[in-house]
Amino acid sequence: MVATEQDLAAPPAERPARTWPWLVLGVLVVLVLGSVARYLEDTVPAAAKGTGLEKFAAAVEYPIYAIALGLIGNVIVYYAGLRERIADAVRTEFFIKTGLVLLGASINLSLIAKAAGPAIGQAVLLISSVFLITWYLGGLLGLDEKLRALLSAAVSICGVSAAIAAAGAVRAKREQLAYAASLVIIFALPSIFLLPWLADVLGLSPAVAGAWIGGNIDTTAAVTAAGAIAGEQTLQIATIVKATQNALIGIVAVALTAWFAFKVEKDADARRPGLRQLWDRFPKFVLGFIAASAIGTWYAGTVSAAEAKAHIGVINDLRTWFLILAFVSIGLQLRVSALREAGWRPVAVFGGATLANLAIGLGLASILFAGFTA
Amino acid sequence: MSDLTPPQTATDSNAVARALRAALNEDWLATAVGLLLVALVLTGVIPTGLVP
Repeated sequence: MVATEQDLAAPPAERPARTWPWLVLGVLVVLVLGSVARYLEDTVPAAAKGTGLEKFAAAVEYPIYAIALGLIGNVIVYYAGLRERIADAVRTEFFIKTGLVLLGASINLSLIAKAAGPAIGQAVLLISSVFLITWYLGGLLGLDEKLRALLSAAVSICGVSAAIAAAGAVRAKREQLAYAASLVIIFALPSIFLLPWLADVLGLSPAVAGAWIGGNIDTTAAVTAAGAIAGEQTLQIATIVKATQNALIGIVAVALTAWFAFKVEKDADARRPGLRQLWDRFPKFVLGFIAASAIGTWYAGTVSAAEAKAHIGVINDLRTWFLILAFVSIGLQLRVSALREAGWRPVAVFGGATLANLAIGLGLASILFAGFTA
Repeated sequence: MSDLTPPQTATDSNAVARALRAALNEDWLATAVGLLLVALVLTGVIPTGLVP
């Protein structure tokens, strides 16, 4: 079986055995919670019509139901002693990446081409400035060098995926990766609701809001949840911006590998990282996202508008299902124990870096995506 | 600071390497599943109305 974030939180001897029946049970838990979220999204607005909750019920989107049900499920499986046993079925990264590939089919390739320039500019400026600020804050509060690298990569690039890539690059300890992964999820949860609300309060255009959300929220699943709450166009721009940041993981991982081998650990026998390592660390789902966009754009040009709309609608329904499963998994994966063990300093570094990310990201998105239209 | 941190153990190394491998495998799996579903819908194998 493949490793999960939960594997990183406890040594193998302390983990309960995971077998196929537990995996099947875990899949059922995720599917049942996802189905309930989908059912609530469909039925609650109609049921609340004419009551005092009508406006509230209409405003609650499927990510909110899915995350709330995931959190409730987390508490239930924890007290039932099942949380670690079913952990292999809680595959947030797989669900979100499949959902994003499906999302690609509904985005015209010309939009990706048009947004690529500002997205790359924002990603390069935001990643380098936020990485350096987090690195500086980590040094100021006396964090271990490897934990500094993990937190810097997680805040500046794309959360858990970047922390995992950085952990491999700097040979971090299991506990350090668990801290970083937990921090990412704990900070991402409120961002899912705060950023769309702030974008609305600030009167940001869908493109600027999408670029801000995509550049700021650390984990890709949470970016998608916030984008889905804010609206379809915001979701599309947020996804393009986040996919661009994801694509830069490889470059940061290779730079960290070289920095730690030659500067921090001064290993004379270390091999210089090459292009092969860049390709190994490149998130391949970004290729799937672009390929799906190319296929969707080609298909829309070859059949009638009605036929294209109907078929892309089915793909969008499938996308919603995968995103719901990802959001349920976010709730199920939340662990607070790793944070208690980490102490206040990593939390302070992460919090400070997140605030810097918010301010710099808002400035860059407002400049680079000003006047951007689909 | 870093001097006070115990060195990385073999278990640490294995756990981090497993997480990295899992992330890379999930990338390819998500790409394959996503594109397969797109193909199945566009070729009519998954018809409209089937997905709730």
